[in-house]
Amino acid sequence: MSHAIPNRRRALQSLAALALSPGTVQAAVGGLPSATHDASSPEWERLSRQLFAGRALIAGQGRVQLIVPLRAPYGASVPVKVISKLPQRGDLYVRKLMLVVDKNPSPVALTLDLSTEVGQADFETRLRVDEYSHVRVVSELSNGELHTDSRYVKTSGGCSAPPNRDALHLIGKTLLKSVGDVRMDQPTRADLTVIHPNDTGFELNQVTVMYIPPYFVRTIKVTYAQRKVFDAELDFSVSENPTLGFNFVPHERGELRAEVIDSKDDRFVGSLAIS
Amino acid sequence: MHSRVMRCLLACTLIAGCASAAPPVPAERAVELAPGVYMFSGTGGAADEHNLGRIGNGGFIVGEHGVIVVDPGASHAHGQARLAAIREVTAQPVRVVLVTHARPDFLFGGAAFRERGIPVRMHSRTARLMASRCETCLKTLRQTVGDAAMRGTVMYQADQEFDTNHALDLIGRPVRILSFGHSSGPGDSAVFDERSGVLFAGGLLDARRVPDIQDSDLEGWIKALSELRALRPRVIVPGHGVASSITLTSIVARYLEQLQAHVRALLLSGTSLLHIAEAGELPEYESWDQYDIIHRRNAAVAFLRYERELIFK
Repeated sequence: MSHAIPNRRRALQSLAALALSPGTVQAAVGGLPSATHDASSPEWERLSRQLFAGRALIAGQGRVQLIVPLRAPYGASVPVKVISKLPQRGDLYVRKLMLVVDKNPSPVALTLDLSTEVGQADFETRLRVDEYSHVRVVSELSNGELHTDSRYVKTSGGCSAPPNRDALHLIGKTLLKSVGDVRMDQPTRADLTVIHPNDTGFELNQVTVMYIPPYFVRTIKVTYAQRKVFDAELDFSVSENPTLGFNFVPHERGELRAEVIDSKDDRFVGSLAIS
Repeated sequence: MHSRVMRCLLACTLIAGCASAAPPVPAERAVELAPGVYMFSGTGGAADEHNLGRIGNGGFIVGEHGVIVVDPGASHAHGQARLAAIREVTAQPVRVVLVTHARPDFLFGGAAFRERGIPVRMHSRTARLMASRCETCLKTLRQTVGDAAMRGTVMYQADQEFDTNHALDLIGRPVRILSFGHSSGPGDSAVFDERSGVLFAGGLLDARRVPDIQDSDLEGWIKALSELRALRPRVIVPGHGVASSITLTSIVARYLEQLQAHVRALLLSGTSLLHIAEAGELPEYESWDQYDIIHRRNAAVAFLRYERELIFK
């Protein structure tokens, strides 16, 4: 279908164009901004026009729900949970999920391209949210419908904490673990963590006071017994040590495998034997 | 008649004040804790358009040959107000202003001192932390308290840096600068007036306010607190909250230890980051300032640190 969610790179190109258009940011004077959870934003108006021109976005949590801690989450790592309200099988399933942080320099944090092998399209991850901002999920179903949900997140801190720069030798180490019981032919929960600084390029090194170049995980492909579970495209809007909580459906004994590529084109693999 | 003229004048002044957009500088009051040792009391709470970001404490020490200032305040206007309050008390020249830690409520008054030729002094790691992030802190503070309150406030660089504990022999009374490596923050420092036993604790201690662990090394911090205790300070000026006794060192250490133990246990029992703020409640401290904000964030920060320890093993 031609109406697919566009890929990240195209999304980023349209954003680069946006950055030049005036009036993107409205600075509040005396008091931080505020908004309702279901409100739009100038950034979202532009971005959604670029990504989904002319297509209806259905809100109301009928098909997808976003859960984010609302009071004072820690901006460097805001936990986000996506819940899909339909089973991932048959002729209707979630084909793509996109997570957006309106005010981030790179708003499209994560795009997931799903197969029915996820069983249940629920995901957890952690995002950087530096300013008060909406966080949004867009869920594209296999019938082409687009569903969306959003939360206005007021992170606290103002001053970012010093980034951690230890254990550089572990960069790329990819950890997979199953959570709870493994049941054949049932959605089984697994957690993936890639040890990686996922540097934004906007932070200064505290010792040299020079910018730390952007350095982040770009793609993660997860398979089970050599069948695709999902492909993820991501960037530095995902927190340091990117994590993904997801489901997969084991049909027989096999290997859960994650192939990771970062912005230096380094490749890493993690795997977990399931029996 | 007379009073009407006065009222008119007052009104005109106020209007003119608004029109020229030079806000009247709210006064700062210095309280003498011991002979020659004064405290500025911040409002506590979170920075907003009412308190103008002036939430943190500070103070100064008057010697025979000059004045040492501890923390210049949150903005250019705040620094000016602190200077004016010092002038109310003494005509001695201000020799130096020490910034105890790299937080916006403590350092942005520096510009008001520097433009009078008064050097700003801080630990080298404080200076680097400030350089690496405080452009953003300033933007956030400006957005929070409003442009008018922040007029003239600029980023600056320290004029003097240091790396270790040392005596400041500048004003004719012995004053010691204490730093503890990475504690409440990298380079966080305290100022100890030997004669009075008053300790300005900066970021190391808050009174009846949840200490912020974002910049900290918790082990280093708890160790620093026991070193402060060994100094036997008679009075402690905390970064936020009222002047306190030496007991404050134990109270803050107890909070830090409880936070660590509680969050570590939650992580090991499988609690998710999504639920850490609720699960991480420590009701003993719920009456402390910023419990709702800082404690919740502390729980998340501690959680992420222990999780990192586990995955890096």
